Amino acid sequence: MNYVQARETGEGTYATVYKGRSRTTNEIVALKEIHLDAEEGTPSTAIREISLMKELKHVNIVRLYDVIHTETKLVLIFEYCEQDLKRYMDAHGDRCALDPMTVRSFMYQLLKGIAFCHDNRVLHRDLKPQNLLINKKGELKVGDFGLARAFGVPVNTFSNEVVTLWYRAPDVLLGSRTYSTSIDIWSCGCIFAEMISGVPLFRGRDNQDQLLHIMRIVGTPEDRVLRKIATESPEIQLKQYPRYPKIPFSQVLPKASAQALDLLEKLLQFDPSKRLTAADALNHPYFTGTVNMTYMPSAGAMQLPAYNYPNPHAQQQQQQQQYQQHAQTQQQQQQAAYAQQQAQVYAMQQAQAQAAQQGQVPPAYYQQQNYHR
Amino acid sequence: MSRALYPLASLEQVEKSPSREDGIPADLEEDLRAYGCKLIHQAGILLKQKQVAVATAQILFQRFWFVTSMKQFGIGDVGMGALYLASKLEECPLRMRDLINVYDLLLQRAAHAPPSGDFRYAPMSYFGNAFYDLKDALVVAEMQVLKRLGFDVHVVLPYGTLVNYMRLLDLTGREDAVSRAWGYLNDALQTPVYALYPVPTIVSAAILLATRHLHIALPSTPPNCWWELFDAEWDDVWSVCGYVMRLYRTRSAEDEERVKGMLTKKDVRRWLEEHGDR
Ligand SMILES: Nc1ncnc2c1ncn2[C@@H]1O[C@H](COP(=O)(O)OP(=O)(O)O)[C@@H](O)[C@H]1O
Ligand SMILES: [Mg+2]
Repeated sequence: MNYVQARETGEGTYATVYKGRSRTTNEIVALKEIHLDAEEGTPSTAIREISLMKELKHVNIVRLYDVIHTETKLVLIFEYCEQDLKRYMDAHGDRCALDPMTVRSFMYQLLKGIAFCHDNRVLHRDLKPQNLLINKKGELKVGDFGLARAFGVPVNTFSNEVVTLWYRAPDVLLGSRTYSTSIDIWSCGCIFAEMISGVPLFRGRDNQDQLLHIMRIVGTPEDRVLRKIATESPEIQLKQYPRYPKIPFSQVLPKASAQALDLLEKLLQFDPSKRLTAADALNHPYFTGTVNMTYMPSAGAMQLPAYNYPNPHAQQQQQQQQYQQHAQTQQQQQQAAYAQQQAQVYAMQQAQAQAAQQGQVPPAYYQQQNYHR
Repeated sequence: MSRALYPLASLEQVEKSPSREDGIPADLEEDLRAYGCKLIHQAGILLKQKQVAVATAQILFQRFWFVTSMKQFGIGDVGMGALYLASKLEECPLRMRDLINVYDLLLQRAAHAPPSGDFRYAPMSYFGNAFYDLKDALVVAEMQVLKRLGFDVHVVLPYGTLVNYMRLLDLTGREDAVSRAWGYLNDALQTPVYALYPVPTIVSAAILLATRHLHIALPSTPPNCWWELFDAEWDDVWSVCGYVMRLYRTRSAEDEERVKGMLTKKDVRRWLEEHGDR
């Protein structure tokens, strides 16, 4: 195998992720190991993830470099990121809340990544801090496409079992199966609020409880609105809901700026058809505004460079040094682990050679699409 | 940002398919492809599976034979793997055990049923080797389809496009034309056309066949040709019609029986030995 595996870096819902290194390029990579189950064959999460991510090449989407398929497992080789957003907030936040500049930078990158997915007809369906990765340059990358799905027109009869509860859109909670890009936008709104405050915005215990948590803040929609949503997704069964008034987001997030609150409001619309698209959200004054700089050209005329926002790490010299030290010890550990890994690598090579002997040579289709140069 | 929504076979792959490279004659490959798709269809019915999953499976099955020879994998196993995979993709997964039972029935029926049709199925034991062998074959087939198609398993089905085109041609009132064209689209799933031509071309062919059959006149003289509305080339449309019409030609009893004895790679290899130099 072309990759050396080192320590474990993350445990997800269905896979274990290791840090590793490519033998050919020396690049540090993430190895996501998925075991093949004799009762289920190749997990559908892995099938979705690979088939969609192969196509999605963007700075704000974790790049899939390669796939190694053996008899017993699948290993997905990704670009390596230092940590996920959840751990980043734990480590860098003030009681997990991030400073406004970092929030804006991350939010911008998140929406860029999602806009790209939606442009390419991919729904993510499982956006949450654990699935957003941050590298040491402060770049945010959308990862874990295990629940993602390609959509065409019309989009219907999808599974209702998607998106971790706290980030799940109310239309999905109501039972909609005809949801579309707007469900990812809802999750982006939830993540936005969480970065500002440090705590998840809606923390329900189950489907119904989650819906009530949402209504307690955004208010119970008028019957007219609920009926409209139900007409647009006929599979929805409406129940009676308590009448909650809307609480202004400024009370929920007293620290947030007016523009941040305005964007949040437009992302967290109960009615999915009212939510901004990712592309429109990127043009919101929260990103394009030129506060206190009236002499600047009008915001709309200004082209945003890929990274308009200061890298949150730039001012964190100290942290960077710490990181380097950390990286050094990591390197030492890695070397120690290296010898041990060799045995495993050798076993893998054997398995691959065996597979090749059995006539399972990589086919034309697959070779053409080698992700690694 | 444009990318092909679904992969199509290259000219080279069409002219020299892997099975033909291995000495399997073109007409035999064609029959085996069609028979494999029929098995998928029958399994879908017995399992009450959604048509979208069945159609997706048939298209993946057809694509597979542009990268793999029937000497290496049997049409029975690959069909079963493709249906299993497609059911996951369409979010209506099948239970392995149900699928294996149904394929076991279909394969036994094909292998042993006398043409007169008196066949008794002997169900297998869950703990016997037959079950585990089929289960292994299923897991391997699913993985091979994924691997050899490079995980390019996105499929676009033609039904929505048909409805659109019929509306544009003002034919929605002709129930007979709509259902006939729909039927041609389904029959075309037994041919390789979905791995060869874009959906608009295939839908145009189905409409052409349906309207000709029902003597419905559509503008067909240049510069007013209806298929050009859908960016389809006449030659391609005509070629798709050819693939579909070939399904309906009368076949000798021998030809029909021949495929039933060639559902596994072992059978295919034996046939190749016997018919080595053609
Ligand atoms: N490319 C990567 N670089 C570094 N860590 C990663 C990477 N991908 C995933 N991880 C870590 O592993 C965890 C699980 O990965 P994920 O892809 O979300 O798996 P699952 O689908 O099982 O949830 C993530 O939450 C993250 O902490
Ligand atoms: Mg995850």
